[in-house]
Amino acid sequence: MPLYGVPQGIVTPPRPAPAGDDADAEHGIGGRTPGTVILVFVFLLAFVLYYFVNWKLLSFVWRIG
Amino acid sequence: MNTGIESPQGIWWKPAHRAERFWVIVAFAWCLVLFAMMPLWHFKGGQNPSGIRHKVEPEAFMARTQEFINAYQVGEENGIPIVEPPPGSDIYLVGLMWSWRPTLRLKKDAEYILHISSLDVNHGFNLYPINVNFQVVPGYDYGLRVTPTEAGDFRIICNEFCGIGHHLMVGRIVVVDDTQSTASAGGAP
Amino acid sequence: MNGSFRTCPTTGLKVHAQADGLIKANAVVATVTLLIGGIAAVLVMLTRWQAVHLLSAEWFYRMLTIHGMNMLIFFILFFEMAVLYFASAVLLNSRVAAPRLAWGSFGLMVLGTLIVEWTMFAGKADVLFTSYVPLKATPWYYLGVILFAVGALLVVCIFFATLVVARREKTYTGSVPLVTFGAATAAIIAVITLGHGAAIYIPTFLWSLGLMNVDAQVYRLVWWGLGHSSQQINVAAMVSVWYLLGAFTVGAVVLNEKISRAAFVLYVLFISMASAHHLLVDPGMGPTWKVWNTSYAMYLAVLASMIHGFTVPAGVELGQRVRGLTKGLFEWLRKAPWGDPGFSSLIFSVIIFGFVGGITGVTFGTEQINIIAHNTLRIPGHFHATVVAGTALAFMGVTYYVIPLIFRKQIAFWPLAKIQPYLFAVGMLIFSVAMTFAGTFGAPRRHWDMTFSQAPFDVQFSPAVDLVIGVMAVGGLIAAVGGAIYIVVTVWSVFLGRPMPAGSEA
Repeated sequence: MPLYGVPQGIVTPPRPAPAGDDADAEHGIGGRTPGTVILVFVFLLAFVLYYFVNWKLLSFVWRIG
Repeated sequence: MNTGIESPQGIWWKPAHRAERFWVIVAFAWCLVLFAMMPLWHFKGGQNPSGIRHKVEPEAFMARTQEFINAYQVGEENGIPIVEPPPGSDIYLVGLMWSWRPTLRLKKDAEYILHISSLDVNHGFNLYPINVNFQVVPGYDYGLRVTPTEAGDFRIICNEFCGIGHHLMVGRIVVVDDTQSTASAGGAP
Repeated sequence: MNGSFRTCPTTGLKVHAQADGLIKANAVVATVTLLIGGIAAVLVMLTRWQAVHLLSAEWFYRMLTIHGMNMLIFFILFFEMAVLYFASAVLLNSRVAAPRLAWGSFGLMVLGTLIVEWTMFAGKADVLFTSYVPLKATPWYYLGVILFAVGALLVVCIFFATLVVARREKTYTGSVPLVTFGAATAAIIAVITLGHGAAIYIPTFLWSLGLMNVDAQVYRLVWWGLGHSSQQINVAAMVSVWYLLGAFTVGAVVLNEKISRAAFVLYVLFISMASAHHLLVDPGMGPTWKVWNTSYAMYLAVLASMIHGFTVPAGVELGQRVRGLTKGLFEWLRKAPWGDPGFSSLIFSVIIFGFVGGITGVTFGTEQINIIAHNTLRIPGHFHATVVAGTALAFMGVTYYVIPLIFRKQIAFWPLAKIQPYLFAVGMLIFSVAMTFAGTFGAPRRHWDMTFSQAPFDVQFSPAVDLVIGVMAVGGLIAAVGGAIYIVVTVWSVFLGRPMPAGSEA
């Protein structure tokens, strides 16, 4: 029955994930997540850039100690 | 495999996947860099919020500031004394509802020990437009070794809420280049 | 006791009637305070936007106080109380331990809230959220905060008691779910936080009565033990909700229970350092104290967030992959249920919290970099990305599941609900990035008049700052529309909405 105003996760709950931890056993439990690996390294790059740009900005102000 | 709302059964303390382990190691290495930069800047960098710090009674700090003003006053503007201390000296700035006293005239590339404190509530020292910020706490003398590296006409904006007149609280610091005449960089009426 | 359970037709979980009621009551009060805080937010923003400059100075600072208290304390803690009941009683199929005490604590929290609201609106507490001593409010204000905190602390105790009851009555097998584990870490941090709250608000209450002295620096030190730790409750609760939303929307799996749980434990162990970030340019502490307490040498709480930042999306990715979305690098993301407000909230919350809130927060929390960030607009820019676009958005997303599952109502104005997370996320993203950028020029936070029209010395901000503040206002208005839609949709659904189809009540 189609339900108006109910999120899809309730109308058609995700079917249970297959049992077993051994999808990629030789590399530890879990499985390959290449998309996320790319995303987190984009994040790290942004982090490193912003962090060091701020050190640079700081180095422009008066000497304080 | 289970979701985050299902109870894992049996022993879940198992080795992580290669990619996950790799990310944890990379992230941890980055965290160590984050830490190392702070001590490193104390040795190599020119900007540290260390200072010379003392507890001080607000009245005592005000008395020292007044003594400092009496010794080096060169003028007055908007009811705020203008003070021109010698390079290398201890200089005093007090925040009170809702002004900064006195106006300081400093020399470019000379080091001063700038003592900041408050007479009443918390204030915020923001040197505009350079964007240097310090917390000004009543009862504490924050003595910062400051070397102005550029000449100009600067403002001290209060950036800690200090009551209804907070937005009126603006002070002034003038930095003159020694190679120029001190009068030309202005401020004194 | 068994008669007071119903079985949820969707999840098969047994829901205790008391848990149902407590979740509903807390969620409703949370929404009311969100509305008050939201109206204050718009008024504050329209004042900071110098082109409009709506409020008088007096009402600006008053509204800023009201905004801070309602959003950071009342809305978020009432919502977290609901999360605690959900993560304990509902997810573990258990009854609520001591339901009468639970209602009593709820009453205490509401009473505290009412007292604080009254003092703020009556102009007896124009001290802003931080109420730095020696700025003084009426003793009633501090008393109200104390009553609220005691109530919250009792709810946290009931949460732990419910965990014990569930284990003893064997309502589940194996270990507690990750979401419950995360909520438990939030609850532990809440104990630490409320302990600091007692340690500072009780002396301050006595001080306001003239019975003792409170040192201004000591106040800042201990107050931030409350002020920032409370944000770490939000982080732990938000990350738990991320795992919850991932599970609800796409059946996200837990990659590795060990790693995710260890990361939650790091939050508990390394929490108190966050408070030090507020004192980096204070006169009371030396450089060794500052460096050590900012980081404990290893930034392990940052590591924890970076781990969750991997495991949450990777859990979604793997959950999608094991169900057949295996093509390329990003089919799992492309073919995700983007029309589900629960899912879109999750993704935007993760991204904005991490990319904007997280990066700026860690950077500004560096001892020396704090010199060019402290008390400028960079700080509210940072925490609107964490606590609003991160925590509040995640909480909004989970509401779209709580209403059908707990309130047993269909979501009203469904098309509006679907776009709500998009409006809110985009608005808050523009708002917080613009605010952070304005702060880079030294624009002060908590300031009524940046033109300094009546000040003794003129201050000319660069025209870029005016422009950026204008952009900030536009972003803020978009977010306000998103927030208003959220309130209309949830209130309408709960009180006037169509019930879920029959046959689902036990």
